Amino acid sequence: MSNEHHITPLRTYLIIAGSLLFLTGVTVWVSYIDLGSFNIILAMAVATLKATLVVLFFMHLLWDDKKNLVIFVMSLMFLGIFITFTLLDTGFRGGINPEVKTAIKSKASFYDNLPLTDTHGNPVESHEDHHEGEDDSHH
Amino acid sequence: MSHNSSSPDFLHHHFHDVDQQYQTSKFGMWAFILTEVLTFGGLFVAYTVYRSWYPEMFYDAHLLLDVQKGMLNTIVLISSSLTMALAIWAIQKKNKKLSLWMLVITWVLALGFLGIKYLEYSHKFEVGQLPGIFYSYMGPEVVNIDNPHIFFGIYFIMTGLHGLHVAIGMGLIAWLIYLTKKDKLHSEYYTPMETVGIFWHLVDLIWIYLFPLFYLIG
Repeated sequence: MSNEHHITPLRTYLIIAGSLLFLTGVTVWVSYIDLGSFNIILAMAVATLKATLVVLFFMHLLWDDKKNLVIFVMSLMFLGIFITFTLLDTGFRGGINPEVKTAIKSKASFYDNLPLTDTHGNPVESHEDHHEGEDDSHH
Repeated sequence: MSHNSSSPDFLHHHFHDVDQQYQTSKFGMWAFILTEVLTFGGLFVAYTVYRSWYPEMFYDAHLLLDVQKGMLNTIVLISSSLTMALAIWAIQKKNKKLSLWMLVITWVLALGFLGIKYLEYSHKFEVGQLPGIFYSYMGPEVVNIDNPHIFFGIYFIMTGLHGLHVAIGMGLIAWLIYLTKKDKLHSEYYTPMETVGIFWHLVDLIWIYLFPLFYLIG
Protein backbone atom coordinates (compact mmCIF):
# COMPACT_ATOMS: atom_id res chain seq x y z
CA MET A 1 0.00 0.00 0.00
CA SER A 2 0.97 3.63 -0.45
CA ASN A 3 2.00 4.15 3.14
CA GLU A 4 4.89 1.75 2.56
CA HIS A 5 6.49 4.34 0.24
CA HIS A 6 9.66 5.92 1.48
CA ILE A 7 9.06 9.54 2.51
CA THR A 8 12.24 11.56 2.14
CA PRO A 9 12.76 13.90 5.11
CA LEU A 10 12.32 17.63 4.36
CA ARG A 11 15.88 18.28 5.57
CA THR A 12 17.31 15.98 2.83
CA TYR A 13 15.48 17.90 0.07
CA LEU A 14 16.72 21.25 1.36
CA ILE A 15 20.34 20.01 1.68
CA ILE A 16 20.25 18.59 -1.88
CA ALA A 17 18.80 21.82 -3.34
CA GLY A 18 21.39 23.85 -1.42
CA SER A 19 24.19 21.63 -2.76
CA LEU A 20 22.87 22.01 -6.33
CA LEU A 21 22.85 25.81 -6.07
CA PHE A 22 26.33 25.79 -4.50
CA LEU A 23 27.70 23.54 -7.28
CA THR A 24 26.14 25.88 -9.88
CA GLY A 25 28.17 28.71 -8.35
CA VAL A 26 31.30 26.53 -8.39
CA THR A 27 30.89 25.61 -12.06
CA VAL A 28 30.42 29.28 -13.09
CA TRP A 29 33.42 30.34 -10.98
CA VAL A 30 35.86 27.73 -12.35
CA SER A 31 34.78 28.50 -15.94
CA TYR A 32 36.51 31.90 -15.57
CA ILE A 33 39.81 30.24 -14.58
CA ASP A 34 41.87 29.10 -17.54
CA LEU A 35 42.74 25.44 -16.95
CA GLY A 36 43.15 24.51 -20.60
CA SER A 37 41.46 21.28 -21.58
CA PHE A 38 40.87 20.52 -17.89
CA ASN A 39 38.03 23.11 -17.89
CA ILE A 40 35.64 20.89 -19.82
CA ILE A 41 36.50 17.84 -17.69
CA LEU A 42 35.85 19.78 -14.49
CA ALA A 43 32.61 21.30 -15.85
CA MET A 44 31.31 17.84 -16.84
CA ALA A 45 32.40 16.33 -13.50
CA VAL A 46 30.46 18.99 -11.56
CA ALA A 47 27.42 18.58 -13.88
CA THR A 48 27.51 14.80 -13.38
CA LEU A 49 27.71 15.21 -9.60
CA LYS A 50 24.67 17.52 -9.76
CA ALA A 51 22.82 15.09 -12.04
CA THR A 52 23.57 12.22 -9.63
CA LEU A 53 22.06 14.18 -6.73
CA VAL A 54 18.95 14.97 -8.79
CA VAL A 55 18.48 11.36 -9.90
CA LEU A 56 19.08 9.72 -6.51
CA PHE A 57 17.15 12.15 -4.28
CA PHE A 58 14.67 14.24 -6.33
CA MET A 59 13.78 11.35 -8.66
CA HIS A 60 13.77 8.96 -5.67
CA LEU A 61 15.97 6.32 -7.36
CA LEU A 62 17.95 5.73 -4.15
CA TRP A 63 14.96 4.13 -2.41
CA ASP A 64 13.11 3.01 -5.51
CA ASP A 65 12.73 -0.46 -6.98
CA LYS A 66 16.16 -1.23 -8.42
CA LYS A 67 14.73 -2.13 -11.86
CA ASN A 68 14.13 1.60 -12.47
CA LEU A 69 17.79 2.32 -11.68
CA VAL A 70 18.80 -0.44 -14.11
CA ILE A 71 16.70 1.17 -16.89
CA PHE A 72 18.23 4.58 -16.28
CA VAL A 73 21.81 3.30 -16.14
CA MET A 74 21.15 1.35 -19.35
CA SER A 75 20.07 4.56 -21.13
CA LEU A 76 23.40 6.13 -20.10
CA MET A 77 25.32 3.06 -21.32
CA PHE A 78 23.69 3.28 -24.74
CA LEU A 79 24.38 7.03 -24.83
CA GLY A 80 28.03 6.21 -24.08
CA ILE A 81 28.15 3.71 -26.96
CA PHE A 82 26.45 6.28 -29.22
CA ILE A 83 29.01 9.01 -28.45
CA THR A 84 32.10 6.73 -28.42
CA PHE A 85 31.44 5.01 -31.73
CA THR A 86 30.44 8.25 -33.48
CA LEU A 87 33.65 9.94 -32.31
CA LEU A 88 35.71 6.93 -33.44
CA ASP A 89 34.49 7.89 -36.92
CA THR A 90 34.40 11.69 -36.85
CA GLY A 91 37.50 12.09 -34.70
CA PHE A 92 39.79 10.36 -37.19
CA ARG A 93 38.48 11.57 -40.56
CA GLY A 94 41.14 14.28 -40.81
CA GLY A 95 43.84 11.85 -41.91
CA ILE A 96 41.78 10.60 -44.82
CA ASN A 97 39.77 13.66 -45.82
CA PRO A 98 41.67 16.77 -44.70
CA GLU A 99 39.04 19.05 -46.19
CA VAL A 100 36.48 18.29 -43.47
CA LYS A 101 38.35 20.66 -41.18
CA THR A 102 37.87 23.68 -43.45
CA ALA A 103 35.01 26.12 -43.05
CA ILE A 104 31.64 24.88 -44.23
CA LYS A 105 30.58 27.55 -46.72
CA SER A 106 26.95 26.68 -46.65
CA LYS A 107 24.16 28.92 -47.88
CA ALA A 108 24.27 30.92 -44.64
CA SER A 109 23.40 34.52 -45.39
CA PHE A 110 26.37 35.22 -43.12
CA TYR A 111 28.52 34.74 -46.21
CA ASP A 112 26.49 36.86 -48.61
CA ASN A 113 28.15 40.20 -47.77
CA LEU A 114 25.06 41.43 -46.00
CA PRO A 115 25.31 44.89 -44.42
CA LEU A 116 27.61 44.66 -41.39
CA THR A 117 25.91 45.25 -38.05
CA ASP A 118 27.10 45.90 -34.53
CA THR A 119 25.89 44.04 -31.43
CA HIS A 120 22.59 45.98 -31.53
CA GLY A 121 21.88 45.19 -35.16
CA ASN A 122 22.72 48.71 -36.38
CA PRO A 123 24.60 48.92 -39.68
CA VAL A 124 28.30 49.78 -39.49
CA GLU A 125 30.87 50.63 -42.17
CA SER A 126 33.55 48.19 -41.02
CA HIS A 127 34.72 46.41 -37.92
CA GLU A 128 38.12 48.07 -37.78
CA ASP A 129 37.02 50.75 -35.26
CA HIS A 130 35.94 48.16 -32.73
CA HIS A 131 39.22 46.30 -32.63
CA GLU A 132 41.06 48.71 -30.35
CA GLY A 133 42.22 47.09 -27.15
CA GLU A 134 40.61 43.81 -28.08
CA ASP A 135 42.48 40.74 -26.95
CA ASP A 136 42.71 38.19 -29.71
CA SER A 137 44.15 35.39 -27.58
CA HIS A 138 41.84 32.42 -27.28
CA HIS A 139 41.75 29.66 -24.72
CA MET B 1 -0.78 -6.64 -0.45
CA SER B 2 -4.22 -5.21 0.16
CA HIS B 3 -6.33 -7.19 2.57
CA ASN B 4 -9.41 -5.05 2.05
CA SER B 5 -12.26 -6.87 0.43
CA SER B 6 -13.38 -3.70 -1.41
CA SER B 7 -10.78 -2.10 -3.68
CA PRO B 8 -10.29 1.69 -3.67
CA ASP B 9 -11.82 3.68 -6.56
CA PHE B 10 -8.40 4.77 -7.90
CA LEU B 11 -7.35 1.13 -8.46
CA HIS B 12 -7.86 0.14 -12.10
CA HIS B 13 -9.42 -3.28 -12.61
CA HIS B 14 -6.47 -4.68 -14.58
CA PHE B 15 -4.09 -4.38 -11.61
CA HIS B 16 -3.90 -6.81 -8.70
CA ASP B 17 -3.46 -4.16 -6.07
CA VAL B 18 -2.52 -0.53 -5.46
CA ASP B 19 1.19 -1.29 -5.10
CA GLN B 20 1.38 -3.14 -8.42
CA GLN B 21 -0.41 -0.22 -10.10
CA TYR B 22 2.01 2.29 -8.57
CA GLN B 23 5.14 0.30 -9.49
CA THR B 24 3.90 -0.29 -13.05
CA SER B 25 3.28 3.42 -13.60
CA LYS B 26 6.76 4.32 -12.37
CA PHE B 27 8.35 1.60 -14.48
CA GLY B 28 6.55 3.02 -17.54
CA MET B 29 7.77 6.52 -16.72
CA TRP B 30 11.37 5.32 -16.44
CA ALA B 31 11.08 3.55 -19.78
CA PHE B 32 9.95 6.91 -21.22
CA ILE B 33 12.92 8.63 -19.50
CA LEU B 34 15.21 6.16 -21.33
CA THR B 35 13.78 7.29 -24.68
CA GLU B 36 14.19 10.92 -23.59
CA VAL B 37 17.85 10.40 -22.69
CA LEU B 38 18.44 8.91 -26.13
CA THR B 39 16.47 11.68 -27.92
CA PHE B 40 18.60 14.36 -26.32
CA GLY B 41 21.55 11.97 -26.64
CA GLY B 42 21.54 12.35 -30.43
CA LEU B 43 21.79 16.12 -29.99
CA PHE B 44 24.57 15.77 -27.41
CA VAL B 45 26.43 13.62 -29.96
CA ALA B 46 26.00 16.38 -32.59
CA TYR B 47 27.32 18.90 -30.07
CA THR B 48 30.35 16.71 -29.22
CA VAL B 49 31.23 16.05 -32.87
CA TYR B 50 31.03 19.69 -33.95
CA ARG B 51 32.81 20.97 -30.86
CA SER B 52 35.64 18.50 -31.51
CA TRP B 53 35.85 19.79 -35.10
CA TYR B 54 35.60 23.53 -34.27
CA PRO B 55 36.86 24.08 -30.68
CA GLU B 56 37.92 27.71 -31.32
CA MET B 57 34.65 28.56 -33.07
CA PHE B 58 32.64 27.15 -30.13
CA TYR B 59 34.70 29.21 -27.69
CA ASP B 60 34.30 32.44 -29.68
CA ALA B 61 30.60 31.91 -30.44
CA HIS B 62 29.71 31.05 -26.83
CA LEU B 63 30.86 34.54 -25.80
CA LEU B 64 27.74 35.86 -27.58
CA LEU B 65 25.52 34.09 -25.01
CA ASP B 66 24.41 35.84 -21.82
CA VAL B 67 25.97 33.93 -18.87
CA GLN B 68 23.93 35.86 -16.29
CA LYS B 69 20.62 34.88 -17.89
CA GLY B 70 21.83 31.29 -18.22
CA MET B 71 22.83 31.15 -14.56
CA LEU B 72 19.57 32.77 -13.47
CA ASN B 73 17.69 30.11 -15.44
CA THR B 74 19.75 27.37 -13.75
CA ILE B 75 18.78 28.74 -10.33
CA VAL B 76 15.11 29.04 -11.40
CA LEU B 77 15.03 25.44 -12.65
CA ILE B 78 16.78 23.96 -9.57
CA SER B 79 14.34 25.87 -7.34
CA SER B 80 11.39 24.51 -9.34
CA SER B 81 12.81 20.98 -8.94
CA LEU B 82 12.87 21.52 -5.17
CA THR B 83 9.28 22.81 -5.05
CA MET B 84 8.14 19.87 -7.23
CA ALA B 85 9.79 17.42 -4.80
CA LEU B 86 8.21 19.29 -1.87
CA ALA B 87 4.76 19.08 -3.50
CA ILE B 88 5.09 15.28 -3.42
CA TRP B 89 6.47 15.40 0.13
CA ALA B 90 3.51 17.54 1.24
CA ILE B 91 0.90 15.25 -0.28
CA GLN B 92 2.60 12.22 1.31
CA LYS B 93 2.28 14.10 4.63
CA LYS B 94 -1.47 14.71 3.89
CA ASN B 95 -0.92 18.49 3.58
CA LYS B 96 -3.08 19.33 0.53
CA LYS B 97 -2.77 23.10 0.91
CA LEU B 98 1.05 23.07 0.98
CA SER B 99 1.16 20.63 -1.93
CA LEU B 100 -1.05 22.96 -4.01
CA TRP B 101 1.12 25.96 -3.18
CA MET B 102 4.29 24.08 -4.13
CA LEU B 103 2.76 23.06 -7.48
CA VAL B 104 1.71 26.66 -8.19
CA ILE B 105 5.23 27.93 -7.36
CA THR B 106 6.74 25.23 -9.61
CA TRP B 107 4.44 26.35 -12.45
CA VAL B 108 5.33 30.03 -11.95
CA LEU B 109 9.08 29.22 -11.90
CA ALA B 110 8.66 27.25 -15.15
CA LEU B 111 6.95 30.32 -16.68
CA GLY B 112 9.85 32.44 -15.40
CA PHE B 113 12.33 30.10 -17.11
CA LEU B 114 10.51 30.46 -20.44
CA GLY B 115 10.29 34.23 -19.93
CA ILE B 116 14.07 34.53 -19.51
CA LYS B 117 14.56 32.21 -22.48
CA TYR B 118 12.24 34.47 -24.51
CA LEU B 119 14.41 37.50 -23.71
CA GLU B 120 17.52 35.61 -24.88
CA TYR B 121 15.86 34.29 -28.04
CA SER B 122 14.30 37.64 -29.05
CA HIS B 123 17.69 39.37 -28.79
CA LYS B 124 19.26 36.69 -31.00
CA PHE B 125 16.46 36.96 -33.55
CA GLU B 126 16.94 40.72 -33.57
CA VAL B 127 20.67 40.64 -34.33
CA GLY B 128 20.57 37.55 -36.57
CA GLN B 129 22.46 35.06 -34.39
CA LEU B 130 20.42 32.24 -35.88
CA PRO B 131 20.92 28.67 -37.14
CA GLY B 132 22.24 27.74 -40.58
CA ILE B 133 21.10 29.83 -43.52
CA PHE B 134 19.28 32.30 -41.27
CA TYR B 135 22.51 33.50 -39.65
CA SER B 136 23.28 37.14 -40.54
CA TYR B 137 25.07 38.64 -37.53
CA MET B 138 28.42 40.24 -38.46
CA GLY B 139 29.37 42.02 -35.24
CA PRO B 140 32.98 42.76 -34.33
CA GLU B 141 33.27 39.61 -32.16
CA VAL B 142 32.59 37.25 -35.05
CA VAL B 143 34.74 38.58 -37.91
CA ASN B 144 37.34 35.90 -37.25
CA ILE B 145 34.94 33.05 -36.51
CA ASP B 146 34.60 30.48 -39.27
CA ASN B 147 31.18 28.85 -38.81
CA PRO B 148 29.16 30.53 -36.04
CA HIS B 149 25.91 29.45 -37.72
CA ILE B 150 26.73 25.84 -36.74
CA PHE B 151 27.04 26.79 -33.06
CA PHE B 152 23.70 28.61 -33.17
CA GLY B 153 22.07 25.72 -35.03
CA ILE B 154 23.00 23.33 -32.21
CA TYR B 155 22.20 25.94 -29.55
CA PHE B 156 18.69 26.62 -30.85
CA ILE B 157 17.77 22.98 -31.44
CA MET B 158 18.98 21.80 -28.02
CA THR B 159 17.63 24.70 -25.94
CA GLY B 160 14.49 24.75 -28.11
CA LEU B 161 13.70 21.08 -27.52
CA HIS B 162 14.44 21.61 -23.84
CA GLY B 163 12.13 24.66 -23.80
CA LEU B 164 9.40 22.56 -25.41
CA HIS B 165 9.80 20.09 -22.53
CA VAL B 166 9.42 22.95 -20.04
CA ALA B 167 6.20 24.05 -21.79
CA ILE B 168 4.82 20.47 -21.76
CA GLY B 169 5.84 20.20 -18.09
CA MET B 170 3.82 23.35 -17.34
CA GLY B 171 0.76 21.73 -18.89
CA LEU B 172 1.28 18.59 -16.78
CA ILE B 173 1.80 20.60 -13.58
CA ALA B 174 -1.41 22.55 -14.30
CA TRP B 175 -3.16 19.18 -14.62
CA LEU B 176 -1.71 18.11 -11.22
CA ILE B 177 -2.99 21.35 -9.65
CA TYR B 178 -6.47 20.55 -10.98
CA LEU B 179 -6.36 16.92 -9.75
CA THR B 180 -5.08 17.91 -6.30
CA LYS B 181 -7.68 20.65 -5.93
CA LYS B 182 -10.45 18.16 -6.81
CA ASP B 183 -9.08 15.71 -4.18
CA LYS B 184 -8.33 13.18 -6.91
CA LEU B 185 -4.77 13.01 -5.53
CA HIS B 186 -4.11 12.30 -1.85
CA SER B 187 -1.62 10.49 0.40
CA GLU B 188 -2.94 7.07 -0.70
CA TYR B 189 -2.82 7.84 -4.44
CA TYR B 190 -0.43 10.42 -5.88
CA THR B 191 1.06 8.39 -8.77
CA PRO B 192 0.51 11.16 -11.40
CA MET B 193 2.40 13.61 -9.21
CA GLU B 194 5.26 11.15 -8.72
CA THR B 195 5.60 10.41 -12.46
CA VAL B 196 5.24 14.05 -13.59
CA GLY B 197 7.83 14.85 -10.89
CA ILE B 198 10.28 12.39 -12.48
CA PHE B 199 9.66 14.08 -15.87
CA TRP B 200 10.17 17.54 -14.38
CA HIS B 201 13.46 16.55 -12.70
CA LEU B 202 14.66 15.16 -16.05
CA VAL B 203 14.05 18.61 -17.57
CA ASP B 204 16.19 20.05 -14.76
CA LEU B 205 18.83 17.35 -15.30
CA ILE B 206 19.19 18.12 -19.02
CA TRP B 207 19.57 21.83 -18.32
CA ILE B 208 22.33 20.97 -15.78
CA TYR B 209 24.36 19.76 -18.79
CA LEU B 210 23.19 22.39 -21.32
CA PHE B 211 24.21 25.30 -19.09
CA PRO B 212 27.97 24.55 -18.84
CA LEU B 213 28.15 23.16 -22.41
CA PHE B 214 26.80 26.36 -24.00
CA TYR B 215 27.36 29.24 -21.58
CA LEU B 216 30.58 28.23 -19.78
CA ILE B 217 33.03 26.97 -22.41
CA GLY B 218 36.36 27.48 -20.62
